Amino acid sequence: MIEQLHLLILAIILFGVGLYAILGKRNVIKILMGIEIMTISINVAFIALGTEIIAGGSNAFKEFAQIFPLISLAVGAAVIAVGLAIVINNYRHTKGVDSDEMSTLKR
Amino acid sequence: MSLVAIYILMILAIVAAIFALESKNLMVSVISLIAMNFFVWGILLTYGALIIAWIQLIVYGGGFTALFIVVVALTEKQKDESFDLLRTILALVSVVVIVGLLIFAVTQSGITNIVGSVSEPSEIFTILWRDRATDVILQGVIFFVASIAIGTLFLQHNRKKTKEEIKA
Repeated sequence: MIEQLHLLILAIILFGVGLYAILGKRNVIKILMGIEIMTISINVAFIALGTEIIAGGSNAFKEFAQIFPLISLAVGAAVIAVGLAIVINNYRHTKGVDSDEMSTLKR
Repeated sequence: MSLVAIYILMILAIVAAIFALESKNLMVSVISLIAMNFFVWGILLTYGALIIAWIQLIVYGGGFTALFIVVVALTEKQKDESFDLLRTILALVSVVVIVGLLIFAVTQSGITNIVGSVSEPSEIFTILWRDRATDVILQGVIFFVASIAIGTLFLQHNRKKTKEEIKA
């Protein structure tokens, strides 16, 4: 059995790792990996919160709680697919994957 | 014992995530991302969240990893050479502050619920054996990722060969 608190802390730490990629990295592929890690951490938090106190040793997990992570997965998948398409498009223009060079997309 | 195994899975997931972001070689980063997805899959299985565990492994561990491999191969930038010290320090400080505040808020909230239907690590295998159809899905994921990876490596090899021929 796991305590809900520990899982929430795991989700927060993973979220922090993803946030660090977005704030501190210039490589767009790494930034997208950070977004993926953040999405996974949010899913873990959703699952952790979708529980109730165990009574009499019964399974406390609510099956219904998996619907929100499913929606989150679908949206995250679309975001990363579009992001990777933008990376390839940008690479054709600038021959690089640096986020500081993304301003050339405006031209 | 079971708790130790679960905490090891959690620590490994965090370490794999950090390694994915800090590795200079982008292919190693993608492999670390696969590892992180597998560790999170194990953690979700211990909750009893079977559906979301498998879908996450298929979508993120399988499909998007293959997509990342293709993008890394197409952009031909195998090394991450961009490093900005000031930006990294600022990011680390802000992340530590945000994560610290969040952990403080969660620990002060008084959550004491106990979750999960698995009390021993061996029960994970029992669940997997009971749900044998998932084996087929796992094999599909592995086959898909492996075929994409081999395809991109083959394309890269061909491209290098043609470049060498042009130079010669």
